[in-house]
Amino acid sequence: MNAPDANSGGGRQQPFELSIGCVPMRLQIADERLYSAVSARYGAFTGTAGQPIPIALNSFSAVGSHRPEFAYEFEGALLRTGSNETRFDGVRNEYALDSLLRVLLSWKLASREGFLLHAATVIRAGMAYVFAGRSGAGKSTVASLSPPGSVLTDEISLLRRGNGVWRAHGTPFWGEFRAAGSNTSAPVRGIFRLVQSAENRVAPLRPVELLRALLPNVLFFSAEPEANRRLLEILGRAAEEISGGELSFRRDRTFWEALPK
Amino acid sequence: MTTKVSACWQKNPALAWREIDEVTVIISPTDSVMHELNDTGSFLWKNIDGRRSAAELAELLAESYEVAPEIALIDTQALLEEMSSRKLVMPVPATGGELR
Repeated sequence: MNAPDANSGGGRQQPFELSIGCVPMRLQIADERLYSAVSARYGAFTGTAGQPIPIALNSFSAVGSHRPEFAYEFEGALLRTGSNETRFDGVRNEYALDSLLRVLLSWKLASREGFLLHAATVIRAGMAYVFAGRSGAGKSTVASLSPPGSVLTDEISLLRRGNGVWRAHGTPFWGEFRAAGSNTSAPVRGIFRLVQSAENRVAPLRPVELLRALLPNVLFFSAEPEANRRLLEILGRAAEEISGGELSFRRDRTFWEALPK
Repeated sequence: MTTKVSACWQKNPALAWREIDEVTVIISPTDSVMHELNDTGSFLWKNIDGRRSAAELAELLAESYEVAPEIALIDTQALLEEMSSRKLVMPVPATGGELR
């Protein structure tokens, strides 16, 4: 529920609850303008199921004495998270907040058998097709050539394993900071590395080749060895359990004919 | 760099690694570089534990791959030097600050 909360010293705090990839979070926001921007951007992802991660945004309260498990700075905005508290400080606008949310999610997903990937995801016949690649690889093209409403994201995909099944979840993280996406998910049919070509063709990738394709496209911001071991374990499992392919594709809708049903 | 065959070797503790498709994939979180080890490299990697020297690793290699001990030692030293140059492994400092 998003309703005004007690004053914590810096202004009237308003909670904003959202859930991305079944990771529930509660932002405590004092800035009215930022609250409006957040409501508009994450409107499709409101509500939580389960205990949300409380995030103190630009809080005036003192930083706890516990050393954070993970900290990250982005253009003057600072994320600190630990078992007791998560704080975003120095957040001046929705762009900085969006960046810190991605970073926080990437960290939290590593302990929830999930990860964020530079990829577009499209649902077809109830299954999620994940198209991975750096900028310019064709993620936006694939998304634009897919039916409206079938695209979970054109920029950053969220994959999570639950009950032995990998699912792709919608995210609010779209290219050019567009507010889009839906808070739904579907079982993953495959992960496809994009290569623009004159013909449509899918070449299967062995697990190690898929892992090689995933690694440069994964969003992860910690250099801490144990966290990276956890991440590599998750990615290795994904590469072993999800079918992978290299999709050479023409810039028209016919590429779907080459993909497995 | 040439390290004595009696020196023990350890994995770089800053790395993350995993075996997949019989290939050992190693990532270096600080510079986001990915390394892959082939069959022999993976065998050595599994057995590098901070207590074994190049000579002991070569013995294991010779037994498992049925190669002559002198060939195994040459291969082992070459692989260790290669992995060391990529900062995947390092000699264990002997007590007193010198390599054994």
